[in-house]
Amino acid sequence: METTFQNLVLGFSTVFTPTNMLYSLVGCLIGTMVGVLPGVGPLAGISILLPTTFGLDTTSAIILLAGIYYGAMYGGSTTSILMRIPGEAASVMTCIDGYAMARKGRAGPALAIAAFGSYIAGTLSVVGLMFLAPPLARFALGFGPPEYVCLLICGLVVLSYMTGGSIVKNLSMISFGLMGGMIGIDQMSGYFRFSYGITALGDGIGLVPVAVGLFGISEILATAGSPDIREVLKPRFRDLLPSKQEFRDSIGPIGRGTVLGFLIGIIPGSAHIISTFVSYALERKISKHPERFGNGAIEGVAGPESANNAASEGALVPLLALGVPTGPVPAVLLAALMVHGITPGPLFIKEQPVVFWGLIASMYIGNLMLLLLNLPMVGIFVNLLRVPYRILYPTILLFCVVGVYAVNSSMVDVGIMGVMGLLGYLLRKMDFETAPLVLGVILAPIIEFSFRQALAMSGGSYAIFVERPISAFFLVLALIMILLGLKPLIFRKGDWRDRLNEAEKGCDAP
Amino acid sequence: MKLKRMFSVVLAMSCMGIVALVAGQAVAADPYPVRPIQVIVPFPPGGVADLVARPFATALEKQLKQPVVVVNKTGAGGAVGMQALAVSKPDGYTLMVALSSISVMPEVDVMFNRPPVYKLNDFAPIALLSSDPTVLVVSSKAPWKNVADFVADAKKRPGEIKYASSGVYGTMHVAMEMFAHAAGIKLRHIPTGGGGPALTALLGGHVDAIAGGPNVSIAQIKAGNVKVLAGWGDKRIPALSDVPTFMELGYKDVEFYIWSGFFAPAATPEPIIKVLREATAKAVQAPDFKSAMQKMETPIAYLDAPEFRKFWDNDANRLIKSVRNIGKVE
Repeated sequence: METTFQNLVLGFSTVFTPTNMLYSLVGCLIGTMVGVLPGVGPLAGISILLPTTFGLDTTSAIILLAGIYYGAMYGGSTTSILMRIPGEAASVMTCIDGYAMARKGRAGPALAIAAFGSYIAGTLSVVGLMFLAPPLARFALGFGPPEYVCLLICGLVVLSYMTGGSIVKNLSMISFGLMGGMIGIDQMSGYFRFSYGITALGDGIGLVPVAVGLFGISEILATAGSPDIREVLKPRFRDLLPSKQEFRDSIGPIGRGTVLGFLIGIIPGSAHIISTFVSYALERKISKHPERFGNGAIEGVAGPESANNAASEGALVPLLALGVPTGPVPAVLLAALMVHGITPGPLFIKEQPVVFWGLIASMYIGNLMLLLLNLPMVGIFVNLLRVPYRILYPTILLFCVVGVYAVNSSMVDVGIMGVMGLLGYLLRKMDFETAPLVLGVILAPIIEFSFRQALAMSGGSYAIFVERPISAFFLVLALIMILLGLKPLIFRKGDWRDRLNEAEKGCDAP
Repeated sequence: MKLKRMFSVVLAMSCMGIVALVAGQAVAADPYPVRPIQVIVPFPPGGVADLVARPFATALEKQLKQPVVVVNKTGAGGAVGMQALAVSKPDGYTLMVALSSISVMPEVDVMFNRPPVYKLNDFAPIALLSSDPTVLVVSSKAPWKNVADFVADAKKRPGEIKYASSGVYGTMHVAMEMFAHAAGIKLRHIPTGGGGPALTALLGGHVDAIAGGPNVSIAQIKAGNVKVLAGWGDKRIPALSDVPTFMELGYKDVEFYIWSGFFAPAATPEPIIKVLREATAKAVQAPDFKSAMQKMETPIAYLDAPEFRKFWDNDANRLIKSVRNIGKVE
């Protein structure tokens, strides 16, 4: 404890130099921008800037790059809330209730709560990173393919229960998404599947074009196609800040989102995306008024936005404590350290205290900077909604195309985005939810690959899923949730779905 | 209204002006190079190819006096970016830094009866930049003290010792199968999504061995998490001087390097290739490039075009033989 304190003092003394403060600020600024632009995610932002850091000293470089990484999680919510376009993949869930709030003129509170939630989650996760990194990293390594499969099965069960409306429609959307996720090279054997001779489809249809297309483009099409001209929202100043009630409603989701996000984040893989929908589902499940979700419930913004921030910092645990990158962004951070002659490994924290504690301290400062940066911006961003649609929407379309193209410099991705936009438009016309579809596409490759890896490990025996304690735990958890889902069948007590239907009937009646 | 129309006319005209300007620049046949050069890296940022290409591009820029821009064109294990170079205009403005896996992909395509995405003779080699042998890494808790123990155990329980790779037909897979074939043993292959996940699987105890790059492994060796049994190179690695090579142990054809090379499209005119070869020879000597590579513990292994061609042919033959031995995976 005392040494931690001393080390932290060392870290802060490293950060509180004008240059390092500046790099932290620059990193956070770039991160916010990268997060706001659809398509361009933290991965693209960091890799574009990586070469410019070659001349910097190691600590400054890593402070700058890490700032982009967690800064992007703040920015990602902005376009999701204002325009229903996920600024990056972890903000897909925020689109649902965030955009619904914006349509009701509550864009300001949604943005503010997203920033507050991100700040609290970010700061608490640094505390976790500081005290628990080494033991947690060892726990994370215990997550092999079998554990991952069971976690995802658990997640899918949650997912099917999550979104409102017809279960049949939701399940069919998930299956459709899972099928779309099968496109690409089979990672176990090298076969091309469903790629129709297009080499670029080898890696699948890609997360970013699917998310931007299904949410963003379809929204633009829907607006353009609606006969009544939507009036331009004119937010008043007192509408910018959350009300007391909204604050009170958000505290619980922020806390739960933080813990959940951090724990899921340390697991190897693209876990920060998974953490957002698990958080959303959890909030809906324990809410007294689940029918509000989807129609602008602030909990649906607070939970996932906190979770993705906590998860992104949780993902640094295995990197810093063991030198093992668990996702694409930590891999680039690892490369950045290696360029500066540091190979992170299990001895990194001991051998490079200035870099490690400097980074930790910079994250405390950076999160505070991001909050101070993002809150005033709420006013500016909300004013974007004053721009007439005939100017705003072509501009958004341009940003979508440029952003999606920039990820892989690929026209095929832009084409996929277009097709997904049309598909999303048709699905909306037929009242299908698009979120389960996107999540299906995200999860399909991970779940399939882990499943087959697990079976390769066991030589084909399914027992591997129940023999290992962590995977067995998740299977039991999934079973319990299915049983809970069946409860209304037995007890004949209406659950939230019935209430939702009643509420909708009530709306339709007049 | 009138003003608006005038504005759009002006806008359209200035757009046309820019297009004409760009086109005019391309037409002018000045001594190469007269405009920025694009270097395709067919792998994501942060990988070996990317880490070599970026400092190299900076050094090359100083020689050619034109911006050299690194573009990550990723997908399908590198096939997307390599195909992009194969079909690009051979004018010296689109080049590529690729890894040893370039030789493997066409062979895999042939094996699966699909039209090859590109052929090896689509590319003109300019220079070999770096070369790093892989090493056989096992957990420090593993019972094997040397390769002989490992082979004996694998013979006792064929197909039960598990190893992780960066992906099917990827470097870590081909290297390990090359050794397994020479030693006459059968191992169980668990492909993962890359070098990082493969190392994670080893550290987490989900697999027993990997064929890893030495630079990442050294940090884990220092911490006592893993040990190295042998190396795939033709000589020992300086940082691991007590680790024998497979060749020393009597496995004659077991030789594997993760190398990176600099390529142009095959039809690039000879004068342009000459400019690039000369610039590359100077760029690899630049102190900045040297120190960048040294920091990453990736040895520079410069070879000019003719020698690189010979090296590549040999290496490709060895890899293709290995891939044929592996055959189709299930």
